[in-house]
Amino acid sequence: MEGIGQVAEEFSFDKEKEIARSFSKRFQWEMMLIGVGQATIWLCLWPLVIYGYISLFVGSLIAIVCACFAYLPSHEAQHGNFSRGNPKRRWVDSFVSHYTLITLMFPHDLMRCTHMKHHAYTNNPEKDPDYDTASSKTIWGVIVATQAGITKYQSIAETYKDDKAFMKSFHKGLNVALMYRAILLVLVVMFPLEALLLWWLPSKVGVIYLSTFFSWYPHYQMDTGRYKDTKFWSHWMPRYLNHSMQLHFVHHLHPGIGHYDEPKAIEALKPFLIARKVPGAENIPDRVAHNPLIRM
Amino acid sequence: ENAISNHIANWNMVWFGLIFWGSVFNAIAINYELTLNPMLWYACGLLLGSIAKIRGTWL
Repeated sequence: MEGIGQVAEEFSFDKEKEIARSFSKRFQWEMMLIGVGQATIWLCLWPLVIYGYISLFVGSLIAIVCACFAYLPSHEAQHGNFSRGNPKRRWVDSFVSHYTLITLMFPHDLMRCTHMKHHAYTNNPEKDPDYDTASSKTIWGVIVATQAGITKYQSIAETYKDDKAFMKSFHKGLNVALMYRAILLVLVVMFPLEALLLWWLPSKVGVIYLSTFFSWYPHYQMDTGRYKDTKFWSHWMPRYLNHSMQLHFVHHLHPGIGHYDEPKAIEALKPFLIARKVPGAENIPDRVAHNPLIRM
Repeated sequence: ENAISNHIANWNMVWFGLIFWGSVFNAIAINYELTLNPMLWYACGLLLGSIAKIRGTWL
């Protein structure tokens, strides 16, 4: 595997994997609650706003918060972290991901197949579907990159046109994306300002938030290869507001570790990460407690 | 053998401009009691979508 060089036996890849595996078993109930919860709240906003129980402005603010919480539950599902390899539970992955992504107007199948390619080819300019945002020079560049619309996905399809499994998922997702677009266009005729401020604007803010914290900060100016493609970083924002994406590097090493188990996993894996010279590993606190990842 | 998909790939921005932005502009005009022809707002949306299509991006 690329990036696995020689280190002392006590920090061997097998031992690292063994520790990581111990954090990769728990059912991610928090993520399920957040995913299903935010999508349900978002759906409830429509009648509440239309019948005047809350103002459109307040509804829009709540919808934006929902949109910022929408992707991560799907991300866990894309990695099978709800089913944990149990075929009988795979429907949970699919249900949570499809449902939580409604707020962002994202199709699960499209997200899953492109995300798997992101893991396989992180920071590869030709093959990483997230390279456009990860390579942006500023946050404004990230914002511009997220507005490319269908153009980005046309170029991804061109790159992977010979990968049958990828293209099958891609087209399945594309149909769902078109359905979302059609629903939005019907809604905008009936409820124009509600469609703008409850769905279109929150989804845009959500995608920018997602691209900034999940893609740009962890991968910007990083190399390719295991232990080198993602960094530990710090930020002025409390980590619960940026989904603890400072810890995103451990997800790239061991995607099976659930999001809420990452802090404990990093504490256990810190010596391994330092031995492997993971960028920023020496700055990892010994205890990832309530909020030690702030840099003022 | 659908190959509709070509139309969507090429013209989705124009349709989106016409229907989505046209409806939004019209709703804002009604909200502020601007007594202009609604077709004007849909034309603005169509123009916005056409520019986006020519340039290949909304921004």
